[in-house]
Amino acid sequence: MKILVVDDFSTMRRIIKNLLRDLGFTNTEEADDGTTALPMLQSNHYDLLITDWNMPGMQGIDLLRKVREDQNETLAKIPVLMVTAEQKREQIVEAAQAGVNGYIVKPFTAQTLKEKLDKIFERIEG
Amino acid sequence: MSDNNFINDENIARVRDLLASMENGDEEGAKEVVDDLTSMRESTLYQEMGKLTRELHDAISAFGMDDRITDIAEHDIPDARERLNYVIQKTDEAANRTLEAVEESFPLCEEIENQAADLNNQWQRFTNRELSADEFRALSSQLGEYLGSQSEKTVVLKDNLNKVLMAQDFQDLTGQIIKKVIKLVEEVEDNLVELIKLAGLPEHEEQQQKRDSEKLAGPVVPGVDDIGDSVSGQDEVDDLLSSLGF
Repeated sequence: MKILVVDDFSTMRRIIKNLLRDLGFTNTEEADDGTTALPMLQSNHYDLLITDWNMPGMQGIDLLRKVREDQNETLAKIPVLMVTAEQKREQIVEAAQAGVNGYIVKPFTAQTLKEKLDKIFERIEG
Repeated sequence: MSDNNFINDENIARVRDLLASMENGDEEGAKEVVDDLTSMRESTLYQEMGKLTRELHDAISAFGMDDRITDIAEHDIPDARERLNYVIQKTDEAANRTLEAVEESFPLCEEIENQAADLNNQWQRFTNRELSADEFRALSSQLGEYLGSQSEKTVVLKDNLNKVLMAQDFQDLTGQIIKKVIKLVEEVEDNLVELIKLAGLPEHEEQQQKRDSEKLAGPVVPGVDDIGDSVSGQDEVDDLLSSLGF
């Protein structure tokens, strides 16, 4: 299980990586915005993408759209979990329409992350 | 400058003089009357301009524009920017110091946890009289090692907890800095309100709203942001998504 964590703040990436490790996911890589993340996603196989929304360069919502439009069918279907401080209803709806698999608002707890991950993997396996 | 004041007996007499001078071919006399009239009009214009200039100057002085506003723009705003950058730096340092201490502590906790689980397992077997003499000797030395290593590990753990504790010292500093910047923002706000009053400008609420909707909202600050179209937490996000069929 390889996970890509995308956030422009290194502290947030570290927090997410630590929480993931605690949940047993030790194979994680990092990117600081969509522009860096997209080529990584296109050249390597990841099982899950966790991304922030508001980032310089390419924002998380645009990264999500680019991933869903990708020629590579496996990449286009990768589960995407958004972890963001954006909590406007219209934005959550926008992310849902763009094909997000889970949406977590910051600040969040380890329990929330676990629940959302369980839900995403449950759906994939089911 | 009112034209009504311009038509008075004195000026009518001047115009009659002018007509008479011209009819008599008295060029000098005619010119004198015209100069007279022109200078009178000019002086009224200058008076009006003078009055307006004085009013403008008084208004600007009352507004305190010449000193404080220049000072704010030249000095206080760049200063506030530096201060806020310092806040970012301090909070970043604190977060990283905390994370370092936590990341260093996790493996220690895991070691303690795993060794304790293993020893507990052996101990259960011992109380059930399932251990041979050799196994008991092994358990005994393992137990000795475990107890010995505990004090080393707890020293490191305590040290890390202390690091986490000390990393929180940013709150006091950043709190003071942010308060200072808030004070400056209030002063700028007051001055801007005065300026708007002075210029008699209407407020452009519509434009403001349009500009707001173009940028990302970011974290909702209680009491500042309109909560109306935002969710208040993860539960509401989940409700909204499940209403969309998630």
